[in-house]
Amino acid sequence: MQYRPDATELLADVAALLDGEVLNAVGGPLQHRVRVAANLVRIVEREVRAGAANDAAERARLIELLGPADGDADLVALRAQLAARLDDPTPLLAGQSAAIHAALVVTVRADLAISKPSYDNWDGE
Amino acid sequence: MTATDPSAAGTIDTTANGLARWLTEAWGRAVDVSGLRESSAGARRRNVLFDARVDGKVVALAATILPTAEIQIIDVAIEAAVRSVAERGGVPVPHVHGVCTDDGYVGGPFFISDRIEGDTIARRILRQAAATGHGEIVVNQIGDALARLHAIDPSEAPPGLPGTVDMQPITTAMAGVTEAVAGLLRPEPAFSYGLRWLRDNLPDEPASCRIIHTDVRNGNIIVGPEGLRAILDWEGSRFGDPMEDVAWPCTRMWRFGDDDKMIGGLGGLAPYRAGYEAAGGVWNEERFRWWRVLVTLRWGTGLAGQTAAHLDGRFRSIVMAGSGRRVIELAYDMLQLVKPD
Repeated sequence: MQYRPDATELLADVAALLDGEVLNAVGGPLQHRVRVAANLVRIVEREVRAGAANDAAERARLIELLGPADGDADLVALRAQLAARLDDPTPLLAGQSAAIHAALVVTVRADLAISKPSYDNWDGE
Repeated sequence: MTATDPSAAGTIDTTANGLARWLTEAWGRAVDVSGLRESSAGARRRNVLFDARVDGKVVALAATILPTAEIQIIDVAIEAAVRSVAERGGVPVPHVHGVCTDDGYVGGPFFISDRIEGDTIARRILRQAAATGHGEIVVNQIGDALARLHAIDPSEAPPGLPGTVDMQPITTAMAGVTEAVAGLLRPEPAFSYGLRWLRDNLPDEPASCRIIHTDVRNGNIIVGPEGLRAILDWEGSRFGDPMEDVAWPCTRMWRFGDDDKMIGGLGGLAPYRAGYEAAGGVWNEERFRWWRVLVTLRWGTGLAGQTAAHLDGRFRSIVMAGSGRRVIELAYDMLQLVKPD
């Protein structure tokens, strides 16, 4: 086992360095890239904390939508399967479209909690 | 300097010399260029602001310079011509003084237009609107400007403008975004859901196409304390459905967090639509709603495309790497627009 700092602590340290000392030391177009880099490091920090649980929850939602027969498939395959079902012009069963929409919103909100927290504070006009 | 830095095409001094040389030849009088500075440069082009002294008078000018001819979306001469057509139609644009397609002056083709003072940076425009309370006036004026653009007889369009007056913009856009979703690096069921909604709600094609700008938004406008002064960045101009043009400024990413003000964080739909209709624009709610979903989804695939270009080495950039993690934002916005009843 690695000694401390652990992965999330190190990433937080790197992000603080980037959008603190490094940002103050550079000028011009590089400033924007440093800000982007710091933000990406913070995204990875949150992903290390929450990514695995997110993926497991998304997988469970997809199995619920698609049926237990697909329970062995990995997450990407399940996503592809739902995408293929939506690409298929065959009409969905009553209520199925709403159930898929609701599940997708939950998944996207969980992804946003990693990539852009509080972006989901808007729920349409 | 890296390939991502648009100013790599020329230094301030060589640019000033090149512009002075061209203006002197074009105007047939000695022109001196001074006070040259880079404005907020886009990824593909430089916007250079300067003063030209001719016959003892100082003229405030701006040059839009393409780094190389091959990066242009539409030819710089067509872009300049569209601006002039729009200006004659009553759309506020900086007046174009001349076009140069020869790379020999400043390292790329360029055109020169009036320099209009005012704010162009979106967050500064929002601060100004908060201070003056003129946000609703600005969105009303944007609606007015779009209607004037869309009222222009399509036969006025410069030769070479992409698209045609009798093209089918709905069908074309549907095919394009379907292909873009199929090309995503990972399956995104939310995007498939959006595509399905677009197919299920396909509106009738507009009766005919018009000249559209395609990128009017907070970030491509000049605003002063009294309101809208000009619409910039005509590089994406083409024929299309006016409702596509009307839908784009309403997308969430141009609000910079102020979701109560649908158009650019400046004002709501009512003054915007009123401005459009008062200037003769014909509003079609069904196509407006459809285009809002389409342009949101399409921008998501555009961000995905940036990341693909980064990952496969065509255009390495930390900003484009980050674009991939923004794709989900557009999926969220799109899902909010297609909520089931």
